[in-house]
Amino acid sequence: MIAKSDKNATIFIVLAVIFFMIGGLLTTVVPPLVDRSWGKAFENSDPAKGPTGKLQPYTEQQLKGRAIYVREGCWYCHTQQTRTLLADTKRSGWRGVDSPVSTPDEFVYDNPHMFGTKRTGPDLSRVGGKYDAQWHRTHFKNPRDLVPGSIMPPFPWIANNEEDFQAMVAYLQTLGRGKNWRPENDFEK
Amino acid sequence: MAAERTVNTSATGSTAAVHVDTTAKWFLLSAVTYFFIVGIIAVIIAAKFVWPEMLGTIAPLTYGRLRPLHVNGMLFGWLLAADMGLTYYVVPRLCGVKLWSEKLGVATGILWNVIILGAVVSLLAGWNQGFEYAELPLVLDVLVVVAWLMFGANIFGTIYTRKYQQMYVSTWYMMGTILWTAFVYLTGNFATLLTTGVNQANLNWMYVHNAVGLIFTPVGLALAYYFIPKSANVPLYSHKLSMIGFWSLAFFYVWTGAHHMLHGPISQWLQTIAIAFSLMLLVPVWSVVYNFFATMKGHWPKTRDNVQLKFLMSGVVFYLLTCFQGPMHSLRTVNAIVSKTDWIPGHAHMAVLGAFSFFAIAGTYYVIPRMFNVKIHSEPLANWSYWFLMIGGLGFFVTLWLGGFWQGWQWNNPAIPFIDTVIALKPVWIVRFFSGIFMFTGITLFLYNIMATVVDSGGAKAEVQA
Ligand code: HEC
Repeated sequence: MIAKSDKNATIFIVLAVIFFMIGGLLTTVVPPLVDRSWGKAFENSDPAKGPTGKLQPYTEQQLKGRAIYVREGCWYCHTQQTRTLLADTKRSGWRGVDSPVSTPDEFVYDNPHMFGTKRTGPDLSRVGGKYDAQWHRTHFKNPRDLVPGSIMPPFPWIANNEEDFQAMVAYLQTLGRGKNWRPENDFEK
Repeated sequence: MAAERTVNTSATGSTAAVHVDTTAKWFLLSAVTYFFIVGIIAVIIAAKFVWPEMLGTIAPLTYGRLRPLHVNGMLFGWLLAADMGLTYYVVPRLCGVKLWSEKLGVATGILWNVIILGAVVSLLAGWNQGFEYAELPLVLDVLVVVAWLMFGANIFGTIYTRKYQQMYVSTWYMMGTILWTAFVYLTGNFATLLTTGVNQANLNWMYVHNAVGLIFTPVGLALAYYFIPKSANVPLYSHKLSMIGFWSLAFFYVWTGAHHMLHGPISQWLQTIAIAFSLMLLVPVWSVVYNFFATMKGHWPKTRDNVQLKFLMSGVVFYLLTCFQGPMHSLRTVNAIVSKTDWIPGHAHMAVLGAFSFFAIAGTYYVIPRMFNVKIHSEPLANWSYWFLMIGGLGFFVTLWLGGFWQGWQWNNPAIPFIDTVIALKPVWIVRFFSGIFMFTGITLFLYNIMATVVDSGGAKAEVQA
């Protein structure tokens, strides 16, 4: 068959599509059918089974903040995944407590997903509750006022638009909060 | 071998069809123009890493909006358009007939330009869907599909009416590109919209990975398979080896998307499959590269005074390197260091600029004088464009690898505060910016030379008429 494919275009087309489709279907359609946790929201009330908590759908305000996050391309510089690497769990951690790793069930309400590919800035998967709104306002106005040496761009049009700013902070404060992992519920507002 | 004859007879045969090439001309000239315009954006975003305040208070010019413009502009405005233009040139010649429909081709070219201009406006306005490589709003996605169908119909129409029965390797790769792109594009731009979370990310990475692996790789190799034997004036070394390369690419590539989420929140077994198939990619890569090197055996001195060959063979070396890096990154231990660092843009640029853009530049330098029936405006200038792109490219790749590796090493030591790892990379970003200026100079010379060649041809015609 393959030997004939360089003389007969129809045989070629059929083979090229079949070759591609085997891997194509097995790696896209099959995985969510096999691994149900991809589509089920995180929920656990038994501390013996790891972190407790329940993933909540986003409110309208949080979705608005999320849309700004997408629009401004924050995701080109920030990832949202605490990987199965010791350093990641420490960097996402809080006051000496390591953060749990990210699992698929924490992201079922994310559309578009914001996992990201590049860490020009720190990972934000557990940033919810790390800073208060005032910190974020100053940071958006000029990141270098708070963190000298930062290369994050200023976002005055977010900081100076009250509605947008509140929405953005509301979204950022949800990140990583499905799992209730910080001792004594110690989260900034 | 028969295939080797095909590549030679198709252009020299005295009965060869008369090619009009209007479509190829328009695609190439607009692609080269976008290469230059988007090059400006590229330099600006490189500068923003060094001076983060630059143009910082103007929303449409913030980093988060210019970066997708840079990526989409280079991928679709320059590279894919140039690849399509060269396909419109190569396929009719390999088939020994005229392009199936020049009118349809010109309409495709117009539509493509409408898409690119629409992309510029929407990305600057922040109408971003939030998927890498698939940022464009849905309307434009639909137009891309329409344009692709028009392109596919034209190329397959040409192939089905061909005079030479045997199809040369370049023709297979171009057919593969058209078929696979259709599925890959639909997955990344439409299927993603029906899903959320990890499921969506998996489809997104399938698309991102295969946008390079099953769009730019096969069409890029098609060009290399055509222009290397042409420019060096030697037959291809082995038809059989090219078949192994093609069919192993067709089978292995699509499995690897999940390697973009190694250590991330995606099933371990899927990560392992992606790693295994990433390693198998060495088969199609090495068989192709061996074929090119064996073809060039004894003919390397020709690269000295042939700009196309310089671009082509440097492109082959970059292809070999980038496709060695890829499988290595997918090993869990290596991935733990380089993933998400500045190493990755170093790797990606070597593929898209160093390998595939070099092939497209070589093709453009080869076909423009032939289509316009004049000599290239300036050989020395073409040579300079090569050296600027080469030195700038190497500066860019090498500093980002060293910097990215060092960055990853620092991240793995949580005692180092994150901001210190940012400050440590500043010298790397300065070198990257200056390398960018070099590359941009090369692009400018390329644009100038191509446009001047076209203008020269106008002058030549006027003289004949007078
Ligand atoms: C050009 C890359 C870049 C872009 C774009 C960017 N950031 Fe950042 N971000 C950084 C860097 C670098 C840091 C680390 C230094 C600092 O805190 O300013 C950072 C830090 C942060 C932090 C503090 C994280 C921590 O754990 O201390 C938050 C929150 C943040 N960014 C949110 C955003 C949001 C929201 C956007 C989009 C509106 C955004 N960033 C866009 C680069 C970027």
